[in-house]
Amino acid sequence: MSDDHKPKAEPKAAELHGILAEYDTPDQLISAATKVRNAGFEKWDTYSPFPVHGIDEAMGIKMTVLPWLTLGAGLTGLFTAITMQWWMNAYDYPWLVSGKPLWSIPANVPIMFELTVLFSAITTLVGMLMLNGLPHPSHPLDLIRRFGRVTDDKFFLLIQAADPKFDETDTRKLIDATQPVAVENVPEDRVTPDDMPKGLVYALIVVTCAAVLPVALAVKARHSRTDKARIHIIQDMDSQPKYKAQRENPIFADGRADREALPGTVAVGHLNEDDHFFRGRVGGAWARTFPAQVELSDETMARGKQRFGIYCTPCHGQAGQGDGMVHKRAEALAQGGWIQPSNVTQEYLRNMPVGELFNTITNGIRNMPAYGPQIPPEDRWAIIMYVRALQKSQAGTLNDVPESERGSLK
Amino acid sequence: MATEKGKKDEGKEPKKADKGGSGGGSKGGSGGGSGPTQPEYADDNIRLGAAGQSLFTKAAAVGAVGLAAAVGLGSSAGDGFKRFSLSYTTAFMWVLALGLGALFWVILQNLVNAHWSIVLRRVGEIVAAQAPLLAILALPIVVPIFTGNSSIYIWSNHEAMSANHALHKKAAYLNSSFFLIRFIVYFGFWTLISRYFLNSSLAQDASKDPKSIMGKMRAVAGPAMIGWALTMTFCSVDLLMSLDPMWFSTIFGVYYLASCVQGINAFLALVAMFLHKQGVLKKSVTTEHFHDLGKMVFAFTVFWAYIGFSQFMLIWYANIPEETGWFKERFAGGWCSGWGLLSATLLFGHFVIPFFGLVSRHIKRKRPTLAFWAIWQLVMIYLDMYWLVMPNTKAEAPPFALIDICCVIGVLGVFIAGIAYRAKSLNLMPTNDPRLPKSLAFTNL
Repeated sequence: MSDDHKPKAEPKAAELHGILAEYDTPDQLISAATKVRNAGFEKWDTYSPFPVHGIDEAMGIKMTVLPWLTLGAGLTGLFTAITMQWWMNAYDYPWLVSGKPLWSIPANVPIMFELTVLFSAITTLVGMLMLNGLPHPSHPLDLIRRFGRVTDDKFFLLIQAADPKFDETDTRKLIDATQPVAVENVPEDRVTPDDMPKGLVYALIVVTCAAVLPVALAVKARHSRTDKARIHIIQDMDSQPKYKAQRENPIFADGRADREALPGTVAVGHLNEDDHFFRGRVGGAWARTFPAQVELSDETMARGKQRFGIYCTPCHGQAGQGDGMVHKRAEALAQGGWIQPSNVTQEYLRNMPVGELFNTITNGIRNMPAYGPQIPPEDRWAIIMYVRALQKSQAGTLNDVPESERGSLK
Repeated sequence: MATEKGKKDEGKEPKKADKGGSGGGSKGGSGGGSGPTQPEYADDNIRLGAAGQSLFTKAAAVGAVGLAAAVGLGSSAGDGFKRFSLSYTTAFMWVLALGLGALFWVILQNLVNAHWSIVLRRVGEIVAAQAPLLAILALPIVVPIFTGNSSIYIWSNHEAMSANHALHKKAAYLNSSFFLIRFIVYFGFWTLISRYFLNSSLAQDASKDPKSIMGKMRAVAGPAMIGWALTMTFCSVDLLMSLDPMWFSTIFGVYYLASCVQGINAFLALVAMFLHKQGVLKKSVTTEHFHDLGKMVFAFTVFWAYIGFSQFMLIWYANIPEETGWFKERFAGGWCSGWGLLSATLLFGHFVIPFFGLVSRHIKRKRPTLAFWAIWQLVMIYLDMYWLVMPNTKAEAPPFALIDICCVIGVLGVFIAGIAYRAKSLNLMPTNDPRLPKSLAFTNL
């Protein structure tokens, strides 16, 4: 150990990078760092196997900008998460989940939390590396043999020759006064290239390109057509261990998967007691008035027009004349057996009680199928209201028009 | 500071420090710290003395007046002490959080072999040792349960339980005789454990072999922590969650834990500042220790929000009436009025604002700002208890009233009197703990 106190012979040709001192304990390092700082040096550093408490103060290291970068990145992550989820879920592809509002902040909070942490963590790591000037492919200390123990049990202090206060003799005296266990002159490194190792650079390029690949495949898939079935990795949703309607179920004697209601029972909300509203009958005869549940209003009329357009016009036509697209197509095919749909404005239908019209829509008639299962009763009544309006429009007289409007028709 | 110590240390124990270094050991939070053989607290005052007696007298008097006023206001309300009981439960659960938090804190420091906290450990031990006092303070709300006619815990009444079909299954757990057993187990366990740690710590002061006592305390800390977690969880379920026996949340214990841990760290910071004013522990408890307490207050600001939101989000997502009803009560009135305003106050006042308030290192290292946020968070923890308990008044808005303040003053006064009574005759620092030098020399990175 005593040999270590004397500087080793150095190659004469090499330029001096700095003076390196070695210490046995973190306390000696802190003590030495305080002295070097007080001497007014700027280009110097300490090296230790682990973070040493108090070294920042001893070296006079100020707070960096890193906490602010982290805070900024965290807030950026937070707002990125909010904006992204709003855009995805409520704007670009509105997707209703269990009846919640399209943009539900509570559902977004986990992602907000995660992106906040992710952005902060990555920024802290990258910011730390950049502020430290890393990665640093070559350093003169790498060539000093004793410096290897900095990752084990030794503590080092290096004053660079580039420091304006540096003077080979005086600085050496200063370092000797800190009682190091060894002092060594560090020559400049003229051997190791300053550039990043080529292999590492190529590897990074390859990895970066590979990272673009999934995105590129996704873009290609979005802008091309294929006849092949999509790759189906997770089958769970398609083959579920359950019985579907119309399938056979060996558990029951009748072998049916969908069960009928027990005799004498009614499903909740399906009692449908009101004869007028649900069946169009009042006191054993067809109702001649609309039931109380149906509001005679512009809204109901508009609803009726819309529903008529959806369910009735394919056969009966826009004006209810029995000339819808289905009828035209059937005529064009001329395959026979086709009965023209009724003209809903003809006289016997004009005189038909609304209750009977309701029954027709509900249960169907002749070729017309039952629409009861598809259209809720209030919509059926709304359709009837619109049919009545159509009938009025075809068979109305001047007397049906309000007096104030008659002038415009003459 | 560390540098100065380093100098002294150089000649004496270089090998020890070297060994610590080669182990790469900054694990204890002070790997680079020094280990001086000469105790640094030698000239520090570690006795409260007369100030303790005076604090005890004042706190006991204020507490007694507060409790008397609360009982007076409660009886004049003429509602069978229902309003008083709810108000008292709020105040009691708030103070219980400090007592339980202290016990948690003491067990934790032993469990992880912490160095930084040794200078504060005795204070924590004394606060934790108030468990029997807390058991007595619990009597006004638990005795009616034992007798089966609590005005706020409807499950204590057997007939009321039988009348409510939805509660039949819960009667196996929620009944007064089983609760009596649990109550004894909770407070018995806390009393035993807190006594054990305080007595061992005191024995260590005089012991010639402090290291073996340290090891024993550490060995007890593991099982003690498990026991603490279970008793704290079930106690919070019994005393807070069962106020609305139809409602349940499996995360509830952890939610109360957040208040316990944040509460005790804020409380210890304030206690240390009070001690400094009395000229006690002035050189031992430094900015570094305050910084660490501040970090814990900050960490549990986030933890509280994390747990509180986890509880809310699952219930919000599943949207099952028997669970959402509890939140519906607490959100009534929207963001700006009624219970909803209190919920919003907690969201912003207990999390968002203190998050940005406490995030900076400088704020945690300056005593006035740390004191401000410690008091702020203690107030918020009280409001959190209020938010948990008071909707059971079925009032349309938080019924803040004088009785609430009287209950807080009463329970807190008695609690502080108990701490002062214990603290006045004891060393307020474990002077003989082998880790003390490291704690004294502790610095944050």
